[in-house]
Amino acid sequence: MTNSGVVMVRGLRKAYGGRVVVEDLDLDVAAGEVVGLIGSNGAGKTTTVECLQGLRRPDAGTVRVLGLDPQRDAERLRPMIGAQLQSSALPDRLRVGEAVRLFARRPGSQGDELLDRFGLAPRRGSAFADLSGGERQRLFLVLALLDDPQLVILDELTQGLDPAARREVWTAVRQLQETGTTVLLVTHELAEAEELCDRVVVLRTGRVLDTGTPAELVARHGAHATVRFSWSGDVDGLTELPGVREVTRSAGVVTVHGQRQVIAQVGAWLVPRGPVPTDLRVEVPDLEAALLALLDAAPAMTGASRATGARS
Amino acid sequence: MTTERVRDTRQSLARPMTEPDRRATSATRRLIGTELRLLLRDPLTLTFVVAFPVVTMLVIGGSFGTTPEKAFSGQNPAHWYVASYVTVVIGATGLVMLPVHLASYRERGVLRRFAVAGFPRWSFALAQLTVGLMAIAVSCALLLAVAAPVYGLPGVHDPVRVALGMVAGSVAFVSLGVLLGTVLPSARAAQAVGLLLLFPSFLLGVGGPPPAALGTVLRTLSGYLPLAVVTSSVREPWLGLGNGTGALLASTSMAVVALLLAAHRTKL
Repeated sequence: MTNSGVVMVRGLRKAYGGRVVVEDLDLDVAAGEVVGLIGSNGAGKTTTVECLQGLRRPDAGTVRVLGLDPQRDAERLRPMIGAQLQSSALPDRLRVGEAVRLFARRPGSQGDELLDRFGLAPRRGSAFADLSGGERQRLFLVLALLDDPQLVILDELTQGLDPAARREVWTAVRQLQETGTTVLLVTHELAEAEELCDRVVVLRTGRVLDTGTPAELVARHGAHATVRFSWSGDVDGLTELPGVREVTRSAGVVTVHGQRQVIAQVGAWLVPRGPVPTDLRVEVPDLEAALLALLDAAPAMTGASRATGARS
Repeated sequence: MTTERVRDTRQSLARPMTEPDRRATSATRRLIGTELRLLLRDPLTLTFVVAFPVVTMLVIGGSFGTTPEKAFSGQNPAHWYVASYVTVVIGATGLVMLPVHLASYRERGVLRRFAVAGFPRWSFALAQLTVGLMAIAVSCALLLAVAAPVYGLPGVHDPVRVALGMVAGSVAFVSLGVLLGTVLPSARAAQAVGLLLLFPSFLLGVGGPPPAALGTVLRTLSGYLPLAVVTSSVREPWLGLGNGTGALLASTSMAVVALLLAAHRTKL
């Protein structure tokens, strides 16, 4: 672990009734990083963060958060962590303002400011049961941010939010990033991970498949491009261009698949041949496409990499 | 160095509570305040704990008249039931209200939210213990307030033993309620188990027919039911039927065991 390490996990294993959910998982998160744990349902994301919070006892491995053991030092550690849990609730009749007062450990915990920032100030007197799904998520975020936590764990943060509310929450996470707060973001929304995370850890069936910045993952697992355009002339020269893997033609539309360099190569091929087709389109993979490619290739890679590339 | 060490020693002597202890105490206080406020906002829960004993006491108390009868150990039947029904409040709180409340919190993830926010697990159990005891106190007061103008209140022969019986029984059943709430998987399961435990106890030796009217087997059985034991520890010294020492000792033992088990479950 680096000196500024906030999370250090080595060889984490957790099984429920013989079903292994997390297997030999390593994870490092450095101070000030926003790290995304991504993977499909059942990938072991939530179990991993529950172990970090001391809510689950690991079967094997070492877990340290802010230098403390989440099991042994739970009472010391929990006030330093702000957490938004995937499936949790508050008492139905508890009002928003009361929840903030109940969860704030010290006076002046920025409760009012946070309620304002997340648009909940007008709902201060509303009962939890009367809040919409989005309002509940925003309230959980407010509660997670009370008392300036050193690590914020956000599990499926924007689940059930409409696009506007999701943007609002993303802005809040970016604000956290600017203030240097360390954030561990658990999500299966890849657009969210791409938008918010400095680094992404990809899990499948409890193992780390790969880790890196979103751009690195796209470069590693989605380094291809597709160029499409209408063309009535011959396409013989296209297949010989560097980086081209496949050229197809259908209903007058030519599709060129290949490495990213085909974008420039096809452009250079088109220019001397007259007017550039007006419907010229280029498709490059985003994080989602890259990760689908990674998951397709996963059996060969499982366990091959570890999430220890923390920024120091 | 020496001066600093002396100062440290003085500080530690002058400050018996550590910072985490103080934070936990403060968190527990906030939690108790919140839980009491929420209980007042939950009319259905309060209705069961308050209205069920009052209504059944009014019905049963009026069924056997007010003339002293041999089946009621020579007591006014209405008074017999008034002295008995305070423990129905204890049973309803400990066997139904608390387990359902706690299991519902567990099921919906409320307890997890409290746990990750740094509330010690025992702080929530302590809050429930306090809320349960207060619910019992308020409900008993209301029961007696309703009984007084209708049937009159029987004189208390031995107030100290009655108070001891009430306290031991309340602690036993509230602890049992916390224990059940931490063991049962869902609010629905807690309600089913709670009612299953409450009604046989309620009917045998507490709020149902007097023991003298029961057959031998049922009468013997009622002598071993925990709520019936608590009722004996209160009713006997209240009506002057005996000192209820055996029942009081049994109630106290139940209170100690239930409290220890609840504390173990909630890592007190």
